[in-house]
Amino acid sequence: MKPPLPAAKHILRQARVIALCLATLALPLSAPAAPRTPSADAEVLERLPLRPGDTTAREFLQLRQALAKTPADADVANTLAQAYFDQAMAKGDPRYIGYAEAVITPFARTMTADLLLVRGQLRQYRHQFEAALDDFASALRLDPQLAQAHAWRGAIFLVQANYPAAQQSCQALLALERRALAGACNGLLLAYTGQLQAAQSSLQQALTESPAPESQLWLHTRLAEVAQWRGQTAQAEQHFKAALRTGLDDGYLLAAWSDFLLDQQRPAEVLALLASWESSDGLLLRLAEAETLLKLPVAARHVQAIADRFEAARLRGDVTHRAEEARFELRLRGNLQAALALAQANYTVQHEPRDARILLEAALAAKDPGAAQAAVHWLRSSGFQDPRLLVLAQALKPKTP
Amino acid sequence: MKKLSHFVLKPLWIMLWSLFILSNPALAHKASDSYLRLDVQGQQITGQWDIALRDIDFAMGLDSNGNGDITWGELRQRQSELSAWALARLTLARGGACSLGVEQLQVDEHTDGHYAVLQLRGQCPSASADLQLAYHLMFEVDALHRGLLRLNLDGSTQTAVLAPESATQNFKAQGGSRLAQFGQYLVEGIWHIWIGFDHILFLLSLLLPAVLVFQHPGWRAVAHFGQALREVLMVVTAFTAAHSITLTLAALRLVELPSRLVESTIALSVVLAAANNLKPVVAHRRWLMAFGFGLIHGFGFASVLADLGLPQGALVLSLLGFNLGVEVGQLAIVAAFLPLAFWLRHSAFYRRGVFVGGSALTLCLAAVWLVERAFNLKLL
Repeated sequence: MKPPLPAAKHILRQARVIALCLATLALPLSAPAAPRTPSADAEVLERLPLRPGDTTAREFLQLRQALAKTPADADVANTLAQAYFDQAMAKGDPRYIGYAEAVITPFARTMTADLLLVRGQLRQYRHQFEAALDDFASALRLDPQLAQAHAWRGAIFLVQANYPAAQQSCQALLALERRALAGACNGLLLAYTGQLQAAQSSLQQALTESPAPESQLWLHTRLAEVAQWRGQTAQAEQHFKAALRTGLDDGYLLAAWSDFLLDQQRPAEVLALLASWESSDGLLLRLAEAETLLKLPVAARHVQAIADRFEAARLRGDVTHRAEEARFELRLRGNLQAALALAQANYTVQHEPRDARILLEAALAAKDPGAAQAAVHWLRSSGFQDPRLLVLAQALKPKTP
Repeated sequence: MKKLSHFVLKPLWIMLWSLFILSNPALAHKASDSYLRLDVQGQQITGQWDIALRDIDFAMGLDSNGNGDITWGELRQRQSELSAWALARLTLARGGACSLGVEQLQVDEHTDGHYAVLQLRGQCPSASADLQLAYHLMFEVDALHRGLLRLNLDGSTQTAVLAPESATQNFKAQGGSRLAQFGQYLVEGIWHIWIGFDHILFLLSLLLPAVLVFQHPGWRAVAHFGQALREVLMVVTAFTAAHSITLTLAALRLVELPSRLVESTIALSVVLAAANNLKPVVAHRRWLMAFGFGLIHGFGFASVLADLGLPQGALVLSLLGFNLGVEVGQLAIVAAFLPLAFWLRHSAFYRRGVFVGGSALTLCLAAVWLVERAFNLKLL
């Protein structure tokens, strides 16, 4: 039976009295976390993520007030929910996903196409891909012109490695004359099926057609990845830097650029890049990898912090981080079997190149080639061309004399 | 020259970097969770509920001066409102609705920031029925909020994740494995004597001279182990008999004493026992001292037992288990102490270091406790 907390506090207090008697200066041991009563009213306990002067804070406040006035207004609800979702994506803060979902929940029986579009995004964020596909399909039944629903369906099919279905989505975008979205959709499809050069021209074409900074950021990030798969390191770096120049916060971009730097053995640059991004689990993982490579003492503390966060996620039954958790176990903790199990579980849900990569790496480290069969099979059947993955798959092949 | 500065500067930069990171412990972005720990023993409910300040702020607005920081003052001033808000979203029933109140507001830190800690206490109509729990905190504003419940129901622990679709849950009462309950209280008894420094120090102060005899003007080592054993047995038996009596009386609510008086007297008992070793007043009948002060130590044990809560259905059995646990813990200490003390009784290490030095340290410690407890101070 676990001793109740007052007991622990009791011990701690006695230990402090003993320390006084021995006239030692202070307890060298740090006190374990335990509930405490602050002594000063002025003690700042929490800094809210949105500062008072922040335009985002004002925008959220106005939208919340508007929705409070007209709670049945689906348009207001939709605007607020979409704003929350965008904030979650920009800052990597999942609380906004929950806020968005709560805004939509009262409309469950009266969903509009726009609300379905937002709910689909929230569901895909939680890796409920089938439910998300259903939402986007329902949205399209209500509004066949809803290009974004096709785009999202295409993106999910790509994650699932369902390339024929993805192709239909890309074609639907073309039929709606959304050339930029269609170009982006097709570009990814071509890339994932190994036609890297064609992918580059498709994405490049989309880049010229969509001047919005958000689109520029997204397309440059994707172009950087394709260049990386083609081994065009300098070009990849140029695209990453162009994406960063938009000045927009984007967790995906920072993760992809950090991975590039880590692959290029440039960990010191990752430190500078991710200075203020420790709050995001995925980015803290990259930061800890860089610190480990540089043998910085702070790495141990960050590794522990990541472990604590994964544990906290596990407690609430959240399994959306498995790919990153696999990477954490493999690269930072050396738990090869745990890493492999996580990478395999992740691969049952997601089949993107990075999912294949962690599975191949984990199987190789654990000397268990059979475990990565699904990824090897995908590499063969898709024709995907990243030399790094092909080398990994080759290394996993049984040696024939 | 240029090369050198480059060589020197880079590690320095990296060092500064790690300093910066160490001084800025960043907090995780994570989905919203509250941590709810409930102990339901019979009719008694105690518990602790950790709710993120960020969540409280989002739901009811904590940052009253609008500067983006939440201070302890801002939280403290809203305590009653916070309690009402939280308790309206948690209902417990065991043979009818249970009462639930917030006894104390504290704070604690989790991976994603500071949390308000609500210390809960309540009572249910039934001591043996199933327990129903309904949880609705935050769900109306954050659909991904989860309540992470750790419930100890009559000694058996279960966990649950409380979500909008699993907000109401039923927990089966174990229906009294009496033996398990007895065992649980036995362990609690052992545990509480081991962490109860004041009880241990009192006992040890009385036992330290057991391997010695006082013959004016000083102490001499006893000749036979039997002599020491007899002394120890008398002291321990007297202490046990005395605290068993008062523990029972207090646990059954037949006698009640104010806890400040009890705790202060316990501290005083340690002071006197230790002082008696340094300048013997009672040199031969220490068992009398053990009995006299043992009576007051029993009230101390009883307050621990009151915190644990005694199941109404198995009152006597649990009390017996707890008391036996205290004895077992005590005997373990004696068993470790006596052979060692007997073996060392001639040595200067024991005579000066352990006996005189230990008694002096104990005296000092207990004096601090006495002042703290008597005047309700915190010296450290």
